[in-house]
Amino acid sequence: MPLDLNTLPTRRDEAWKWTDVRAVAKEDRGGLSAAGLPKFTLPDGVSISEASDGASQTDTPMASLARSISGAVWTVTVPEGFNAKDPLVIEGLSRGHIRIHLVLGKGASLSVIEHHAGDASSFVNLDMVIDLSEGASIERAIIHDDPESCLRVATTHITAWAGAKINQYALSFGGDLSRLETRVAVMGKEVEAVLNGAYLLGAKRHVDMTSYIDLAVPHCTIRQAVKGVVKDKARGVFQGKFHVRRPAQNTDAEMRHDALMLSDTAEIRSKPELEIYADDVACAHGNTIGQLDESALFYMRQRGIPVAQARALLTEAFVADVFDDMSDEPLQESVLGKIREWLGA
Amino acid sequence: MLKINNLSAAVDDGQKQILSGLSLEVPAGEVHAIMGPNGAGKSTLSYVLTGRDGYEVTGGDVSLNGKDLLEMDPEERAAAGVFLSFQYPLEIPGVPTMTFLKTALNAQRKARGEEEMKAPEFLKKSRALAAELKMKPEMLKRPLNVGFSGGEKKRMEIFQMMMLEPNFIVMDETDSGLDVDALRIVADGVNKLRSPERGMLIITHYQRLLDYIVPDAVHVLAGGKIAASGDADFAKKLEAEGYDAYAA
Ligand SMILES: Nc1ncnc2c1ncn2[C@@H]1O[C@H](COP(=O)(O)OP(=O)(O)O)[C@@H](O)[C@H]1O
Ligand SMILES: [Mg+2]
Repeated sequence: MPLDLNTLPTRRDEAWKWTDVRAVAKEDRGGLSAAGLPKFTLPDGVSISEASDGASQTDTPMASLARSISGAVWTVTVPEGFNAKDPLVIEGLSRGHIRIHLVLGKGASLSVIEHHAGDASSFVNLDMVIDLSEGASIERAIIHDDPESCLRVATTHITAWAGAKINQYALSFGGDLSRLETRVAVMGKEVEAVLNGAYLLGAKRHVDMTSYIDLAVPHCTIRQAVKGVVKDKARGVFQGKFHVRRPAQNTDAEMRHDALMLSDTAEIRSKPELEIYADDVACAHGNTIGQLDESALFYMRQRGIPVAQARALLTEAFVADVFDDMSDEPLQESVLGKIREWLGA
Repeated sequence: MLKINNLSAAVDDGQKQILSGLSLEVPAGEVHAIMGPNGAGKSTLSYVLTGRDGYEVTGGDVSLNGKDLLEMDPEERAAAGVFLSFQYPLEIPGVPTMTFLKTALNAQRKARGEEEMKAPEFLKKSRALAAELKMKPEMLKRPLNVGFSGGEKKRMEIFQMMMLEPNFIVMDETDSGLDVDALRIVADGVNKLRSPERGMLIITHYQRLLDYIVPDAVHVLAGGKIAASGDADFAKKLEAEGYDAYAA
């Protein structure tokens, strides 16, 4: 059955007010009403199965679309105590509706690399569920490099039990319209999460980095730093929310979004939110939008660095620090390489 | 070497005239000092010479070895050999000092059609120089000037100057923030760079620096122009008597 375009979110939905999927989803987009076909490279000891599963783990409008169209779920199971150097690589997220369920057993540790690279003019709707059992740890690298015509919504729902660790690093170059959403339900004590990201957008590209962290237990630590760079007529959206419920005492949570506007025709929309019901917490957020520092630029030029190169160096320095703590150095180098490539273009 | 002829310049979108008809010549091989009261326009002169945005030339001309400097972008002036040691050196977060300097050096070389300096030679040269200037090697790994004290920043300016080997040097209050030991180290470095092909303009508030770097001529900048000139002893007289006699 073809997808009914009217079931897509529009800007009348508060959570989608800056990312109007309905407005750019045309009938002729490849994959609009089809299941996608992801490709997995599994480390030894990790297994995968495909099963049709109507059970609803997730409840967003995009998730129910994925459920009704893709049907099947790709379930990747990481056994208890698993620990390997090789990452799980997910590719082929290029068109259509895709459901992935990643389950990490107790104390398992996994590194995941996701390549979000779409086909021209396609529609991608990824609905991913990640379950982190007690003491499990995941390092997630999201590399979003779509053609300018691609429409993508990628939503991840993470459930973290006691002592779980999340280290997430997202790099996005946007697309016709794209949204990378991360929703974390913190269910057990002493969870530590780093949710960093950067977006670099030119032309008329759009990316929306949205996150919602729901804290319901004490002693958890969240660090979120998102950096944005926009030029031309691009548009960057950041929506972040920490929801600290009453029992979540001693939450230590920090959210930052800092963006650089390299041209005044570009746009940034941001909405950092803290909703706090616990009384003994340390929560902070910061949000800045600025330009490159003119005096630093002059200083560099005075030393002989041409202005374009000076701008690129300062911009790279601005963005790069959100990736400082990636544990996989070659991967980190390739992320920085992509950033440099964008800056050189 | 450097010829400034009847130079006028304004800041604040041309609203505020700072230099009005300044003329000065620094022949190759000479070191000239510029002294003057606070707010006289000494830093303004250094920015006009190096092409900073917001410092608008409203008249006159400046040439270096016969080439019109005012026509050039800041990076072109740097490649032509103009170096400014900043009164307030900038911090460049996220850019390691060595990366910054190697980029700068090779950009200048490229602009001049010279070959790049390769990493091993660069490292060797910078290590030797850091030792000479008594700089901690860690300083070179840190982002440029970030978290440095005032004195460390000034020393870093001299380090960059000696790495880049410019042929015309402007030093803007390099002595402020330096203790006597640091001052001596810096002065030794500067003196080593003195050569028949090189010219220097040393802007300072205090005569003290000129005990270590003895200038060929001393000028007073007041009222937007060179109000008086003399030899090295003139600096001592200025410090003793102040600038009141030259007020605009
Ligand atoms: N960018 C600027 N915008 C506005 N006024 C400036 C600017 N730079 C300098 N000035 C003004 O020009 C005058 C000269 O300043 P400056 O060149 O820094 O003097 P000096 O270095 O001799 O102390 C001062 O009145 C100062 O406030
Ligand atoms: Mg000054």
